[in-house]
Amino acid sequence: MTPPDSAQFPASPARALPAGSAVTAHGLSQRVSTADGALAILSDVELDVKAGEILAITGASGSGKSTLLGLLAGLDQPSSGEIVLLGERLNKLDEDARARLRAGRVGFVFQSFQLLPALTALENILLPLELAGRTDARERATHWLDRVGLSARAAHTPRQLSGGEQQRIAIARAFATDPQILFADEPTGNLDADTGARIIELLFELNASAHTTLILVTHDDALASRCQRRLHLVAGHASEVAIA
Amino acid sequence: MRFLRLGLWLLRRERRSGEWRVLLLALIIGVGSVSTTGFLGDRLKRAMSEQGASFLGADLLVTSPRPIESWPALKSTRSGTSALATSLLSTSRALEFPSMLARGDAFQLATLRAVDAAYPLRGVVRIASQPFAESSPRPAQPPPGSIYVAPDLLPLLAANVGDQVQIGEARFTIAGVVAEEPGQLGGMFGFAPRVFMRADEVERTRVLQPGSRVTYLYQFAGESDQLTAFGTALKPTLDSTQRLIGSHEGVETLRGAFANADRYIQLTALISLLLSVAAIAIAAHRHALRHYDQAALMRCFGATTPQLRALYAFQLLTLGIIGSLIGVAVGAMMQQALAILVLPDAVTRLPSLGLMPVGVAIVSGLLALAGASLPALMRLIRVPPLRVLRRDLPPLPLGSWISAAVSGSALLLLIAWYAGDARLVGVFVGALAGLVVVLLLLARLALLGGRGVQKMSHGPVRFGLAQLLRHRFDSTLQLGAFTLALFLVALLALVRGDLIAGWRQQLPPEAPNYFLVNIAPHQQAPVADYLSEHQLKASALYPMVRGRLTTRNGEPIASTLSPESRDSNTLRRELNLTWTATLPANNTVLAGHWHGSRSTAEISVESGMAERLDLAVGDTLGFQIGDQTLSARITSIRSVKWDSMQPNFFVIFSPGQLDALPAAAIASVYVPPGASGMLPGFVKTFPGVTVLALDKLIANIEAVFAQIIGAIQLLLGFLLAAGMAVVIATLLASLDARQQEAVLLRTLGAQRAYLAKSLWSEFLALGLLAGLLASACAEIAMALISDRLFELPARLHPWLWLALPLAGALLVGMSGWLTTRHITHVPPMQSIRALN
Repeated sequence: MTPPDSAQFPASPARALPAGSAVTAHGLSQRVSTADGALAILSDVELDVKAGEILAITGASGSGKSTLLGLLAGLDQPSSGEIVLLGERLNKLDEDARARLRAGRVGFVFQSFQLLPALTALENILLPLELAGRTDARERATHWLDRVGLSARAAHTPRQLSGGEQQRIAIARAFATDPQILFADEPTGNLDADTGARIIELLFELNASAHTTLILVTHDDALASRCQRRLHLVAGHASEVAIA
Repeated sequence: MRFLRLGLWLLRRERRSGEWRVLLLALIIGVGSVSTTGFLGDRLKRAMSEQGASFLGADLLVTSPRPIESWPALKSTRSGTSALATSLLSTSRALEFPSMLARGDAFQLATLRAVDAAYPLRGVVRIASQPFAESSPRPAQPPPGSIYVAPDLLPLLAANVGDQVQIGEARFTIAGVVAEEPGQLGGMFGFAPRVFMRADEVERTRVLQPGSRVTYLYQFAGESDQLTAFGTALKPTLDSTQRLIGSHEGVETLRGAFANADRYIQLTALISLLLSVAAIAIAAHRHALRHYDQAALMRCFGATTPQLRALYAFQLLTLGIIGSLIGVAVGAMMQQALAILVLPDAVTRLPSLGLMPVGVAIVSGLLALAGASLPALMRLIRVPPLRVLRRDLPPLPLGSWISAAVSGSALLLLIAWYAGDARLVGVFVGALAGLVVVLLLLARLALLGGRGVQKMSHGPVRFGLAQLLRHRFDSTLQLGAFTLALFLVALLALVRGDLIAGWRQQLPPEAPNYFLVNIAPHQQAPVADYLSEHQLKASALYPMVRGRLTTRNGEPIASTLSPESRDSNTLRRELNLTWTATLPANNTVLAGHWHGSRSTAEISVESGMAERLDLAVGDTLGFQIGDQTLSARITSIRSVKWDSMQPNFFVIFSPGQLDALPAAAIASVYVPPGASGMLPGFVKTFPGVTVLALDKLIANIEAVFAQIIGAIQLLLGFLLAAGMAVVIATLLASLDARQQEAVLLRTLGAQRAYLAKSLWSEFLALGLLAGLLASACAEIAMALISDRLFELPARLHPWLWLALPLAGALLVGMSGWLTTRHITHVPPMQSIRALN
C-alpha cells in the first residue's frame, strides 16, 4: 500500500529536532503491590533512544512492554529511576506538566485504535490538532487524511470503517501534529496479517519522511526486525538485541 | 477559550448520544415543572402588588358591621387648624350585604355593594354593555333605578342587559356588566356574584332589617402623612368588630395567605425536579463511564486537568442553559394553561411574564444539574492517561465524602430555597427521605415476590423477568421512582373524588337543600307558617346575632392562650350566636349538662372550639355583641355534626340572654325537586330573606376545588414525565450489557420476536408492579386522610387497582421499549463490532 500523495506538509517550527537523545531511561523500575507482596514489573531498565531512531520493544505477554512504553511517554510515574523525554526530566514534572510536554510533540498509535466513536474520520484527526491549538488544524487534518488514502471516508464514523481503515486514521492522527516522538503500542495487534503488514508499511513510510523518533511495542519478530534497534524484555528485565 | 470551543464542538458531535438526550429531557422536565409554578405565582403576586391601592379601591379602608358616626379630628397641614378627617381626606361610603335577585321564576343570591358617587377612590371600575364586550371606565354608581351586575349573574337569572330584576321590594334595570373592579383578583373564589347599586336606593328595597348581615365600607384617600395621622388616631376608637386596612395591609394579608399555598405547590414542583435529578445523575454517570476513554485520550494528547475540567464543565453548563431555557419555555406555556384553568376570568388582566422566575428556574436547573452530575464529572477529569494502554484502569479514587458533599449541598440549597424556612426544609427532606426509603423497600420486596412468578413462567417471559431481577439496583430505582409518581397522581385524584362523594353519601336522603338566612324578627312567625302551609320539612328557626369572643374568666382571651392558639380563626372573626332551650338535632352533649330552659346566663360550646381554646365547663366567657358586652358560664360542651346541612353554632346561649339584641333568624329546609317552583313566591313574600341554594353552593365549591386540583394534576404530569425519565436513564445505563446479552442470545439462535417478548415482559412487569405498589400506597394514604382529617370511613377503590397497573404498564412499557428496541434489530455482527 502506497500513500497516494507524498507531498510534505510544511513542518512547524516546533518540529526542529534537537540533536542527541529523544528519550533516555536510567535505572527504571516499576513495582506494584499485590496480595502476595511487591511485584516487579520492570527492573533497572537502561535505555537511550536517539532522535530519529526506530526502537522495537519486544517480549512475551506480561513482560512489561506496555508498562515501559507508558513510562517513557510520561503516561505514568516509575517507582524509581529517571526518564528524560525530549530534554525534560519527567520525574520533576507532575501529571499536568507532563501533559503539556506531550501536547503536539508526542504522538500515539494504539492496538485498539482509540478513535472517538462520535467523531468522523476527519474529526478524529482534528482532535489532537485542536488540543494543541494549531490554527491550520483543518487543512492539516485534511492533508493527513489524504496521506493515508482515506479522503473519501472523511465523513465516516469509526463504526463505518474496517479495522485497517481505523488504524490508518489513527496513524494519520498520530502524525498530524508533527510529533518529535511517536509511541506505538502493538499497532497491528488487532489486525489480520495482510492488513497488519500494510499498516506497518504505511507507518514506516510516513515515519521516514517525517524523521520522527519511533518507539514500537510488538511481539511480532518480523516487525521488530525492520526496526533499527530492538529492546527485549523478559520478566521486566531489558536487554538490547542485535537486529539480524 | 480553545478548550471551551473544543468542548462545544465535541458536544455538538455527541448531541445524538442517549445520555445527553436523557439529561436534557430530565432537565427540561424539572425546570419546566418549577418554572410553571414560578411564573404563575409571580404573576399573581405582582398582580397584587401592582394594583396596590387600587386593590382596596382606596388608600385606607375601614370596615364595620355598624355605621360609624364619629371620626377623629385631624390637623390640616395647610391651615394648621383642626378639622374632621372626613373633610380633609377624600371619602367614599359603601354598604355591602347579601341579597336575593329575582327575575320571573329565577332567583339568585348576590353580594350587593351600594356605593356613592365617589366610589372607588383609587383604581377604576370598567363597565361593558354586554358580557365580554369592550368595556370603558365609568363611575361604579349606576344611574337611578338601575344596577350593574357581574357577567356570571346574567345566565343565572336568564337575564340580559336592559332587563328588570327585583331586589327586595324594588325593581331595577340592569344597565351594564362589570368587566373590572378594584380587588377583583382577591375575590376570585367568591361564590356570590357582585352587583353594584346606588347607596341612596337601598332603603327602597327594604332588604336591610334589624339584625341583617351588612358591612359598612368607609374608604379614604389623601396625602400619606394625613392618612398615617388619621390611621393612628382612628385605631384606638375601633372595636374588635371593626377593621382598619391600609392599602399595603390588605394586599399583604392576601399575599401572606397566597404565599403559603404557593410554597406548597412549588414544593410539589420541586419533587419533579428532584426526580429529574435522579435521572440526570444516572445519565451523567453513564456519560462519564462512556467518556473515560475520551478523557484519557485527550490527556494523552496533552490536555491538562484544568483544561479538561473547563472543557467538561463548559459542556455541562451549555447543556444546563439549553435545558433550562427550553424548560422555562415549556413552563411559560404551561403556566398560561394553568392560569386559564384556575382563573378563567382574570387571566387577561394578569401582568405579563416576569423575568424573575426565568432567573429562578435557570438557577434551579443549573443547581440540580450540578448536584446530580458533578460527582461523575469529577471522576471523569481524574482519569489517568495510562488508561489508553490499560483500559481496566479506573479513574483515580475520589473521596466519596467530597462528591457526597458537593451533591448534597447543591440539592439542600435547592430545597432550602424552595421551602423557605428551616423547619419546612427539615419536614420536606425528612418526609421525602422517609417516602423514598419506604418505596425502595417496597420495591425490593415486590421484586423478591416477583422471583416466584419468574420460576413459574417460561420462555421469553422468564428471561424478561430474570432481567428485572438481575438488574436489582436499576429495577428498584425504576420501580421506586415510578411508584412515587403514580402514587402522588392517584392520591390527588382520590382526594378530589372521594371526599366529595363520601360527604354526599353521608347526607340523609331528605337533607336540607336550602338555607333561609336573615329572617327579620317580625318575619319569623309568618315564615314558619308559610313553610308548614307548604308542607316543607324545615329545621327550627334559630335567632342569630353576631358577636366576638373577648374574655375568659375576666381575662382577655388572647392572654390566656399559647401563641399558636392565639392565631385561631375563632378569635379573629365574629361568631354566629344563638339561643335555644332544645338541644339541636345532630348535637350531642359530651361534658356538663344541657342548659335547657334555665334562664341564667349559660352557654354550650362546640367541642372543637373548646379544644382549640382550651375551654372547660365552668369557665365564664365574655362576648362583644355590637356595642354591648355579655358574659355567660359554660355549662356544657357538645359535639356538632358540621356536615348535617343544619344550622350549626359554636356557641348556644340559654333562652332569654340575647333577647334585647336585634336578631335575624336562620333555618334550613328541604325543598323536594318538584316543589322548587314555590321559591320565587317565597322570595317575593319575604323580600329581606336570603335563600341560599346549598346544591349550587356545593357545586360551586366543587368546581373551584376541581379547578385547583386540576391545576395541581397538570403539575403532576411533570412528575410522571420525570418518573419516565428515570426509567429511560436507568435503561440507557444498562444498554451495553443488554446489547451484549442480546448478541449472545441471537448468536445462539434466539429470534427477534423472542428478544422483543422478553423486553416487553420485563417492562410490563415493572410497570404493573409500580402500579400495584402505587395503588397500595394510595389506598393506605387515603384511608389515613379520610379517617384522621375528614372523619370519613375508609373505603377501597377497585378501579384504582386496575387503572394504576395498566397506566404503569403502558407508560413504562412504552418508554422501555422505545429505549431498548433497537437491540432487537441490530444484526449480531454489527453489535459485536460496536461493542468492540
